[in-house]
Amino acid sequence: MNWSNVRLILAREIRDQLRDRRTMFMIFIVPILTYPFLGMIGLGISQVAQQKPTRILVVGETHLPERPTLIEGDRFAPRLFRQPGMAKLLELHRWDQESRPGSAGASGKKASPGSESGARPSGSPLLPETAARSAVEAGTYDAALLFPPDFGRRIEACREAAQRRDKPPEVPRPQIIYTTAVERSQLACDRLRVVLERWNDEVARSFLAAAGAPDWSMTAVEVDAVDLARETGYRGAAMWSKILPVLLVLWSLVGAFYPAVDLCAGEKERGTLETLLSSPAARSEIVLGKLVTIMLFSSLTAVLNLLSVAATGPMMFSQLPGFGPPPALSPLWLGLALLPASALFSALSLALAAFARSTKEGQYYLMPLMAVTIPLAVLPAAGGLELTLGNSLIPVTGLVLLLRAALEGNYWQVVQFAAPVLAVTSGACVLAVRWAVEQFHSEAVLFREGERLEVRLWLHHLFEDRGPTPTPAGAVFCGIVILMIHFFMSLRWAAPSDFGRFAVAVAVSQLAVILTPALLMTVVLTRSPRQTLLLRRPPWAALPAAAILAAALHPAAHVLQKAVMKLYPLSDAMQEALSGLESLFAHAPWWQIVLVVALAPAICEEIAFRGFIFTGMRSAGSPWRAIVVSAVFFGLTHGILQQALIACLIGVLLGWLALRTGSIFPGMVFHLVHNALGVLVARTPQWLESNWPGLSWLLRPADGGVAFAWPVVLAGTGIALAVLAFLARVGQPDGRR
Amino acid sequence: MIHVRALTKHYPDLRQGRLVALDGVSFDAAPGQIFGLLGPNGAGKTTALRILSTVLRPTSGTVTINGFDVVRQPAEVRRQIGFMSANTAVYDRMTAWEMVEHFGRLHGMDKDALAARMESIFERLKMNDIRDLLGAKMSTGMKQKVSVARAIVHDPPVLIFDEATAGLDVLVARALLRTVAELRDQGKCILFSTHIMREAEKLCDRIAILHRGRILAEGTLDELRDRHREHDLEELFFRLISEHDERQGAVARDVRTSGRLP
Repeated sequence: MNWSNVRLILAREIRDQLRDRRTMFMIFIVPILTYPFLGMIGLGISQVAQQKPTRILVVGETHLPERPTLIEGDRFAPRLFRQPGMAKLLELHRWDQESRPGSAGASGKKASPGSESGARPSGSPLLPETAARSAVEAGTYDAALLFPPDFGRRIEACREAAQRRDKPPEVPRPQIIYTTAVERSQLACDRLRVVLERWNDEVARSFLAAAGAPDWSMTAVEVDAVDLARETGYRGAAMWSKILPVLLVLWSLVGAFYPAVDLCAGEKERGTLETLLSSPAARSEIVLGKLVTIMLFSSLTAVLNLLSVAATGPMMFSQLPGFGPPPALSPLWLGLALLPASALFSALSLALAAFARSTKEGQYYLMPLMAVTIPLAVLPAAGGLELTLGNSLIPVTGLVLLLRAALEGNYWQVVQFAAPVLAVTSGACVLAVRWAVEQFHSEAVLFREGERLEVRLWLHHLFEDRGPTPTPAGAVFCGIVILMIHFFMSLRWAAPSDFGRFAVAVAVSQLAVILTPALLMTVVLTRSPRQTLLLRRPPWAALPAAAILAAALHPAAHVLQKAVMKLYPLSDAMQEALSGLESLFAHAPWWQIVLVVALAPAICEEIAFRGFIFTGMRSAGSPWRAIVVSAVFFGLTHGILQQALIACLIGVLLGWLALRTGSIFPGMVFHLVHNALGVLVARTPQWLESNWPGLSWLLRPADGGVAFAWPVVLAGTGIALAVLAFLARVGQPDGRR
Repeated sequence: MIHVRALTKHYPDLRQGRLVALDGVSFDAAPGQIFGLLGPNGAGKTTALRILSTVLRPTSGTVTINGFDVVRQPAEVRRQIGFMSANTAVYDRMTAWEMVEHFGRLHGMDKDALAARMESIFERLKMNDIRDLLGAKMSTGMKQKVSVARAIVHDPPVLIFDEATAGLDVLVARALLRTVAELRDQGKCILFSTHIMREAEKLCDRIAILHRGRILAEGTLDELRDRHREHDLEELFFRLISEHDERQGAVARDVRTSGRLP
């Protein structure tokens, strides 16, 4: 790495960006203008929206009790509103069966629903409720308020009953008719509810008074809320701690993306990339120079946006209760979080932008990147997610949660989880940078030429020019097809009531979801099914070795599984579903369980994942990429996150077995033994107890399962490592001769 | 100076399974000589020169430039060459001076030597009036001058021009050809690809005719004329190419009718 070249490229790119009007606009002007502008619009809209009165049709006003009054003149009584002016926002229209269209009576506005639309045939009186319904539906009124006949008299009767301490008569309920299909109607309903609730309080108070209870009994218990943050300088920190991390993430992404597109796709488009590539600067130096430039602009965008929010936010929201300036230390925490965030997004944007042929194509990639990032960034703020070890391991989400904890002043949490968050984030950064460098080394990416998409030609090519084994693209396609079918099948999954149904469900899902797509694609997309599915004779010792490996590794896998469950606890519903399955197993003969849960997956899943997908990925690129990709697809088909993580790790091991032995069979044996032990081990403690009581300490029943003794776990791991070392020597690399 | 041996390059291609851009190309070019690579569009000239400039990697074969191998010592090779093609544009948001200076610095030249060198280049190529003009505001001719200056700023022993006159008007093209000839007279080894016969005739000391990834003929202009008994280069070029295509067509017909290769 020649650092002076990196510096030169960095300096040039920065100058180049500073001379670009569009970039400058995005980075400096947009943030300064956005928030005041948004504030203005928001205030404007809120005023307009709140000032609009809603039209309410009142039916049966005459049935209201004399006191307390609900309607005074042609409005609700002003004392029923917190701010008396609010009464204006509910415009009342009385309905009168006798009144004719357009005639205004002495008691204010009168209305006859349906008269405007002319739907009501003259002379045929409508039931009030039906008429109100059609009026609200037609949008003539935003809501209707119906008081049933006898309503007032019953209220009076209640009051009298209260006075006599008698059983009260039943009171018919008033009705609000509204529709959630129209926002104004919902608003009208909400306003009506508030008014009626306050009125109900007054009615209740009058009952109490009639019964001789003191007036203060309605407000006997009052609550004082003390905000500690008022004194500590963290007033309103909860809100800031939700807003600021999301803004930081989003703006460092956007701020990285536009320069990245200009620096890579733009340079390709303008034809200067080849000039640069033929200069003495090495590709890694070019990538690094560009990456640092992008990071710089990404950070700058985020900082300017945050400053702009900090400047305008408090002014705009100062009226809101519990809202203060951002916590004093927030610049420090945001600054610290900015570095990893912008590094991650810069590297991702750089890799995507390097792939694009033109700036236009580059812009298309922003959307998918956003679609992945926004949920990761916003969910922690919206979903009430807490910082736990499990959550801290999710990229972006962990960072947002950690930053939130810091802004809220939860320093103990920060200390606890800073290490995992930073480890995951820097791991993601390294991967993204490697991807970007890879893009710059790939001729196919750098000199990608526009090709017309001809579906027929492509399909023809796919079939006619198919190789003995699938391509990486074919492998990924197969994985995605399996995942899609899996997803749609899982929507129709119903908990089986007995083992027979369960067996059928598993068999169908294994055959239809996993085996069939893989076999079909093998037949259509490859010339040599034998080579594709690794149907070769493995080295003789590999089969027993795989069985021993699975058995020896089982206690450790069991411990690992428990750790994962602790990290990401199962939801109650999931727990219930799983225990339901376990009770199914308890009553089935062991050989049937092995057949369904172990043998079927061992064959079907191995053929799909270590056969088609692994071989396809193996045909280009490093063997580890093939192992990891096949393991990830393998994990994802296991549905539940907790199972998927374990399956992913097992998948890596299975991939390695396929790589070392060049055959699918050792993996099948491993898979069979692993799955069989997984379900049968629950029965083992009882069996040990009755047959080998001396050995029962090895495996004890524990809460919701079994627990291996630590010596067993350690010894098993030791044996497993020995078997792995043995396989590493015995197996021929990749089985290729 | 430049030694190319059995150079091949394949690209994956939907229509043909794989596209053979170069099919066993070999040639040598010496210092003080302009070696012309003459071929129609799509002959593989750009691919060959991109491999020479280490931007692409060969599928097989070897290329050494001034003793350095393009696959094993790409960084060294890039120091030995000045590369200019229709695809090596100038930066829009840099002035002529900044652009040339940037590449001089990337070549590791120290400040004073670079400044002196640039003064003399700008003088020689008559670029002093566009010194502070941004690339975006330059005419095609101006851009071409900047590209030449950029390619020769570090005084490389080998210069590669790929279709350098494409899109230039006669005046600018003539000026460029004169510059190339001057560089030859300074003892540079020059590789010059073109599809324009006149340029090849006027400029090149040796000519290789490249078609469909293969060299059909190679030699000095006189050698080619004698060997093929044709004085006019354009006629000669056309004849070689059509003969080659006819042979290929015949082979393809044979394969189609008999089902096997001859």
